Amino acid sequence: MNVLPLQGVRIADFGQIIAVPYTAQMLAWLGAEVVLIETEQRLTTRIWPPFAEAEPGVNRSGGFNMVNSGKMSCTLNLRDPDGVELARQIISVSDVVMENYSSGTMERMGLGYQDVHSLRPDVIYLSLGAFGRTGPMKDLVGFHSVINLFSGLASVTGHKGSHPRIMGGLFPDAFSGCYCVLALLEALYHRANTGEGQHIEVAMTEALATLLPEAVMEYTLDGTEPERVGNRHKEKAPHNVFPCQGEENWVAISVENDVQFQALANVAGNPGWADDPRFATSEARLKHQDELEPLIQQWTERLQVQEVVRGLQDAGVPAGPVLDSAQVLSDPHMIERGFVQFPGHSVVGPRPLGAFPWAVDGGQPGVARSAPLFGEHNVKVLQELLQVPDAEFKRLVENGVIA
Amino acid sequence: MFQEGALSGLKVVELSDQISGQVAGSFCARLLGDAGADVVKVESLQGDPYRRTGPYPGGVPDPDWSGLFLYLNSNKRGVSLDIESPEGRAALLELVAASDFLVLGQNSLEVERLGLRREKLAVANPGLIVTTITPFGLTGPNSAYLGDDLIAISAGGMAYATPGIPDSVGDPDLEPPLRSNTNMAGYLAGVQGAMASVAALLSRTIQGTGCEIDLSMQEAVAAVMPFELAHASYHEAKPRKPEVFGVMPNAYLPCQDGYVVVMAVMEAHWRNLMDLADNPDWAELEVFSSGVERARNWDALEPLLLEWTMAHTGAEIAQLAQDRGIPCFPAYTVGQMVDSAHVTERGFMVDMQGPGGQKFKLPGYPVRLERTPWQLFRPAPKLGEHTSEVLGEWLGYSAEQLLKFGVGAR
Repeated sequence: MNVLPLQGVRIADFGQIIAVPYTAQMLAWLGAEVVLIETEQRLTTRIWPPFAEAEPGVNRSGGFNMVNSGKMSCTLNLRDPDGVELARQIISVSDVVMENYSSGTMERMGLGYQDVHSLRPDVIYLSLGAFGRTGPMKDLVGFHSVINLFSGLASVTGHKGSHPRIMGGLFPDAFSGCYCVLALLEALYHRANTGEGQHIEVAMTEALATLLPEAVMEYTLDGTEPERVGNRHKEKAPHNVFPCQGEENWVAISVENDVQFQALANVAGNPGWADDPRFATSEARLKHQDELEPLIQQWTERLQVQEVVRGLQDAGVPAGPVLDSAQVLSDPHMIERGFVQFPGHSVVGPRPLGAFPWAVDGGQPGVARSAPLFGEHNVKVLQELLQVPDAEFKRLVENGVIA
Repeated sequence: MFQEGALSGLKVVELSDQISGQVAGSFCARLLGDAGADVVKVESLQGDPYRRTGPYPGGVPDPDWSGLFLYLNSNKRGVSLDIESPEGRAALLELVAASDFLVLGQNSLEVERLGLRREKLAVANPGLIVTTITPFGLTGPNSAYLGDDLIAISAGGMAYATPGIPDSVGDPDLEPPLRSNTNMAGYLAGVQGAMASVAALLSRTIQGTGCEIDLSMQEAVAAVMPFELAHASYHEAKPRKPEVFGVMPNAYLPCQDGYVVVMAVMEAHWRNLMDLADNPDWAELEVFSSGVERARNWDALEPLLLEWTMAHTGAEIAQLAQDRGIPCFPAYTVGQMVDSAHVTERGFMVDMQGPGGQKFKLPGYPVRLERTPWQLFRPAPKLGEHTSEVLGEWLGYSAEQLLKFGVGAR
């Protein structure tokens, strides 16, 4: 087993909903000890569907369990000064603090970067906001859809001649989270070399705008706005998804050059397509996609998705299945590679999740463990780590400071 | 004031697909350069394929001014080698032997053909971290599959999930799964490749040796959809309909001048939203009494909300709602985003200038690191710009040696 790179790193996670929880989860899987500070008065994913067997419960939410596994849960009432004091003590023994509350919330609790920095000068403190922590829109609230719409991503997503569409998968949250993980790993490396901590600020809108260099360049050169093109590509044709046998079954096909198109024509049993002047060259195919795509569809819709994929891939043509979430989690290829993991859970049992998208020397680079029950680690965090005496702990529970 | 990046002093060699190009490997290496590493991009004598895709500042193709290339390759130096020749291959292997990271953006067949697996390379350089980014990974039954952005977005589950919450699919028979017209899977895999590389660097400081990272673009896509996967894992796969978010309203609706997201899933937001709509009688109906009820009865609620959105512009709705803390927002064009006071004030965009003085912008870096801030240390290299400089500096090649394999020209 590879050494987990973040062994010995402790993180105080004030993450909300997905972006920062996702970030902290990945660091937990890489070996960090992550204390998730939850507030009963402000629960989000824990009380949102999907629930195991569609039965609500704070320990039954897939949305929570799949971005908080491998963490410890400590439930503090952050509206009570005693709760904030306990949070401050957790921070004082943590290497990393991360939060994505609304701008100013941590500062109002006295837990902003300046407060924490005076408590722990080498702290690495990450703040993520929908629009970041500065600028005229810093106080705007926004979840993934707002980020999609502001950043221009929706504007390059959609069918030809139709309106902007929103990308699926709550993509902006986890994508921003990836930038956060990268920044935190860099900051930890920097701290290991210099002893210096630092403040890190991330705007989700900017993370998404990093996807649009060509559109930004074209607009700033001469005011050109991108056209929506469905699944088509400016240089490749065919380049689309095609229906296969059955309901909601699709195959993605992307042909990059004439050799690949000849191979596709052969696999489809229509070698003559490649001699047709409308389809013989990339330039011609780009012009005649409206004629070419229905021909390909007539071929694919008689076949199973996997038949098309195997036939094309065996002939050297890029193709792949359009998988839904359930198919992702049951995909033999991704299961064999170790991407799909089944961490246990004392309430909902083992459930598949997507772990690391990369292997290290043939194995997963970390360990996806179970998600914590609500307040499961209060004793461990507050009594074992912070040494809160029994009587005081009891008083705090009675006063509703510890949930 | 000049500040060094977190990865200053570390060396990176990048080799990306010489025929098709690959955003992921190039972006991964750029991110390491963004953090201060000395990144050397090895290109063929013809140059990276993205030198030929534009857009170009003057509209005239120029391999040194292709927009996507400029973006993917800033903070790198460029070396041009024929790695199929014995001399070129020897130089590549020597560069790798002198490096901390090798980033490979290829398909798995090409990685094998080039013989660039770490097992072999580590003999000369045990600390080497090899980061491979391939369409389906280096192992598993589908590892030999070819793929690009469309294939990865599809096989990773995102195309099926798009349009996504809260954008509704009108008629699934008529609306196929959708990809965004960007190289999204490539950027995603690029960021994750950089994450994996720096995590491996931290491991190296503990155990002393490097490792081989095998990153799959298919998994890179699936990995950023935890909520979507949760539906499959906990309940059932999300049907391609909007209301399964479970709590409503969280909807993407037409308004007077475009489209707008109306999100009021929390009770306080719902009450504020109903205040804005002048508290209509239906707001008090039992069927709309909670977020879950409103999801269950969305077919009844949607036309009522539409009456309100169609009476306002997107900007009005955003203004009214955001003043009360409700997360509503209209669909922006790229231009509205670029020109917004917010983006301008935060200084996110980077000012560029083309060969004929054309001014344009490219997206900057989305993370502000206080002590190790992002900088544009250097613009993307011209083809072969640093061949002799790097071979001399890293490998000590003499001018005579450089001439011998034809790289003395630049």
